[in-house]
Amino acid sequence: MPSVTFEHVRKRFGDSTVVEDFDLVVADGELLVLVGGSGSGKSTILRMVAGLEEVTSGTIRIDQRDVTALPPRERDVAMVFQDYGLYPHMTVRENLSLGLRLRKIPRQEIDRRVTWAAGMLGLASLLDRKPKQLSGGQRQRVAMGRAMVREPKVFLFDEPLSNLDAGLRAQMRIEIGGLQRRLKTTTIYVTHDQVEAMTLGDRIVVLADGRIQQIGRPIDLYRAPVNRFVAGFIGTPPMNFVEGTLRENNGQAVFITEGLSIGVPREKTLTANPTQSLTLGIRPEDLRVESSAAQSVDDGSSAGVLRGRVVLVERLGGTSHVHFDVAGGGSRMMASVSNDRLPSVGETIVVRVPPERVHLFGADGRAIGRTAEIV
Amino acid sequence: MRAEQKSGSLMAGPYAAFLLVFAVYPIAFALVLVFLQWDLVTVPTFAGANNIRLLLHDGRFWRAVANTFVFLSIHVPLQIVTALALALALNRQLAGRSFWRAAFFLPVVISGAVVAILWSHLYATDVGLINRLLVKIGLSPVPWLTDPRTAMPAIAVMVTWKNVGFYVIIYLAGLQYIPRSCQEAIEIEGASAWQRFRYLTLPSLLPQTILVVTLSTINGFQLFIEPYVMTGGGPLRRTYSVVLYLYNNAFAYQKMGYAATIGVALALIIGIVVFAQRRLIGRAEAL
Amino acid sequence: MKQLRRIALYAGLTIAAITFIYPFLWMASATFKPAAEAGSLALIPHDITLDNYRTMWARAPFGRALVNSTFVATTITLAVLVFGSMTAYAMARLNFRGRPALNAATIAVLMVPGQLTLIPLYTLIVQLGWIDTYAALIVPYLFNATAILMLRQFFLQIPQSLIDSARMDGMSEPRILFTIFWPLSKPVLSIVAIFTFMGAWNEVLWPLLVVREQNLMTLPQLLTVFALGGGAGTVGVSLASAMVLVVPVVIAYMFLQRNFIESMAGSGIKG
Repeated sequence: MPSVTFEHVRKRFGDSTVVEDFDLVVADGELLVLVGGSGSGKSTILRMVAGLEEVTSGTIRIDQRDVTALPPRERDVAMVFQDYGLYPHMTVRENLSLGLRLRKIPRQEIDRRVTWAAGMLGLASLLDRKPKQLSGGQRQRVAMGRAMVREPKVFLFDEPLSNLDAGLRAQMRIEIGGLQRRLKTTTIYVTHDQVEAMTLGDRIVVLADGRIQQIGRPIDLYRAPVNRFVAGFIGTPPMNFVEGTLRENNGQAVFITEGLSIGVPREKTLTANPTQSLTLGIRPEDLRVESSAAQSVDDGSSAGVLRGRVVLVERLGGTSHVHFDVAGGGSRMMASVSNDRLPSVGETIVVRVPPERVHLFGADGRAIGRTAEIV
Repeated sequence: MRAEQKSGSLMAGPYAAFLLVFAVYPIAFALVLVFLQWDLVTVPTFAGANNIRLLLHDGRFWRAVANTFVFLSIHVPLQIVTALALALALNRQLAGRSFWRAAFFLPVVISGAVVAILWSHLYATDVGLINRLLVKIGLSPVPWLTDPRTAMPAIAVMVTWKNVGFYVIIYLAGLQYIPRSCQEAIEIEGASAWQRFRYLTLPSLLPQTILVVTLSTINGFQLFIEPYVMTGGGPLRRTYSVVLYLYNNAFAYQKMGYAATIGVALALIIGIVVFAQRRLIGRAEAL
Repeated sequence: MKQLRRIALYAGLTIAAITFIYPFLWMASATFKPAAEAGSLALIPHDITLDNYRTMWARAPFGRALVNSTFVATTITLAVLVFGSMTAYAMARLNFRGRPALNAATIAVLMVPGQLTLIPLYTLIVQLGWIDTYAALIVPYLFNATAILMLRQFFLQIPQSLIDSARMDGMSEPRILFTIFWPLSKPVLSIVAIFTFMGAWNEVLWPLLVVREQNLMTLPQLLTVFALGGGAGTVGVSLASAMVLVVPVVIAYMFLQRNFIESMAGSGIKG
């Protein structure tokens, strides 16, 4: 049974439309991530589910129940805020239990739930402290505990990790993911960080300018982005893009740009207009770098080959990023390589571009040869 | 830095001198005056602890102190409630918000003497505006300033009216500090409007409430122009304030030593009351 | 339902606002009513007359009092601004011996209720022979602890680099204060100016103590004496005298209300 449904939800502030025609079904127990830059509408959508923003038009349902006109406290949702929203004058215990006390839940049940949540989150020793005596990570856990004790239908997370430092963020990410899997509560999670999205989400919704760009599992968004925005947004380090055109060459479609010509599998060009200018995308980790010292053996693959001059090598431990200028062209690209044979700055390298890993985008940004999945 | 030292001393020197003459000396001399008897014309005479003894048994003084407590018991709660209510009302997206704010703050900038004179006419038993309004809606007029039971309360209401705008500003500032996420969180947690007020807004405003209580208490003890203008301290000495008594002792009775004693006593009383209040409120917060 | 609440809110606020403004409006209109109409509830007089003002003006030296008040309040405000910023500048940016002590003393002074020092100050004035002089009204107010602390707080935030480069150019400290700091301090200076002026303008207890002579009285003082002394006679005349005190303030307030609010609320909190 689906847990949260959006039907043609739209949000307007004055003259500008912040969320356009949002349609989505969130499955029961799913962790759905809304990801996008600022102004993409992701927080607005979350707040509309919470009831903190009014819906301009459309319907939101929780468990089939139309909640669009209901105030927040009648929706049975719980929210974790970016700055946690803990009540500064109350102890941790009081923070956790307020929602239950307001609903007149019996004392014993309150104590049971508070103990349970505190145990799960490692807060047992902090119950009598006030928020200002806690670290950022601890406050974050209290905020989560507060949501958990309510045992709501839906958890809403509004960029909960943004105020934490990188190390803590990585750790909390794992904890939140684990927690959600244990509790099996439907969760909608908003973030601008695509790493969070990729690691946490059962499914991800990529948003830009209030519009859905793509919905899908992390792996689908990674392998088959439906437009240039998603392709460039998902994946670290970001995808390389070059402009070029498509030509016919002996019955084969070839993408041509300065310094590179690469045969492209037919399926990818089905919807392409032969003379339009296109963008080719290739992920840094898909490029194969060989130093020109080693003889580039023609192994019969139809990989496109380009030459480049290394401009910068960023060593990151396990992998390194090689930034190079494409010979004969003006583009700067980056390849991710393992540390075995690192080229040095100034060196000329040979880079192979595997055609099956290539993404092609038309002038309108849409991926060629692929349709978006909307579930 | 020699030059800096010199400039600093030169520029701050006048103030230091001023403090010595107009602050340190008067405070010290006040304590000396307590033990003197002086009418400003003849030579002061040593009075030992006479002034203090007289003060402790002075019915008029203690009546004045009691009057102040009557005043405070009405003024302070009324001030908190009205200022808070108005601040909460103003703390939204409202059309003409600065107009309302300016309206409530207007009496604050007006001289106390003017307000006292104006309200004398409003409170006048026969022709006063308030009684005329009461009669118009069918109630009987009240002898506000001439009945010993209503006189001080009437003044308390007037002073509340005069100062409420000031405290509205204080509460408004405090309301801004309540984080939006806390307000939204408590809404999502299921709080009704009253519960939001009780569990979040009011506790968050504790510092402001302490300030309101402290300032209006100090203000209450310093009451002068209102009884001076409106009632002269009557009826039956029920609006006689401590400062009025101090003034009369100096100006009318020419008893400098005794007046100074009243001043010192007043300062002590204010100090004790304010201290006790802060303690009490601090303890109430812990509950 | 939400609409109803909004309407109730506006209605409540309007009623409240009326209770704060109406008395002043009534007061103003009462001053234009002839004796027969005195005390009527109407806001527009049936017969408009200036008699009350003429009577008031004739019976007591209100013109003189207006001059006195203006003179005293202006002098005090200027003094507080100039001397106050000199002191604040020294306390904020110049290292001199005794600076911490002066700081502590300033804060301590604010804690002491004025009533404690009232009598000794009065006796001091008497002994200096300053009764019935402008000196008595002005000198005790030349320096204002609240103003100094406020200005000091503001001066602390001005970048040291401005001072350093000015010193290197050979500027004296006072010159730095008035040519560099002052232009940057307009907001705080206007706040100090307003609450100092208003305090001086409305002050009544002190003048009542040190000034006996009618010609030297300040406006609120003369107004009080006039109202109590029975010189007013009728409501209209008594209120007319109040109007002289109030109208300049209200006019200034209408144009500068944000500054007023910022100033008087801010200074009160500090005090």
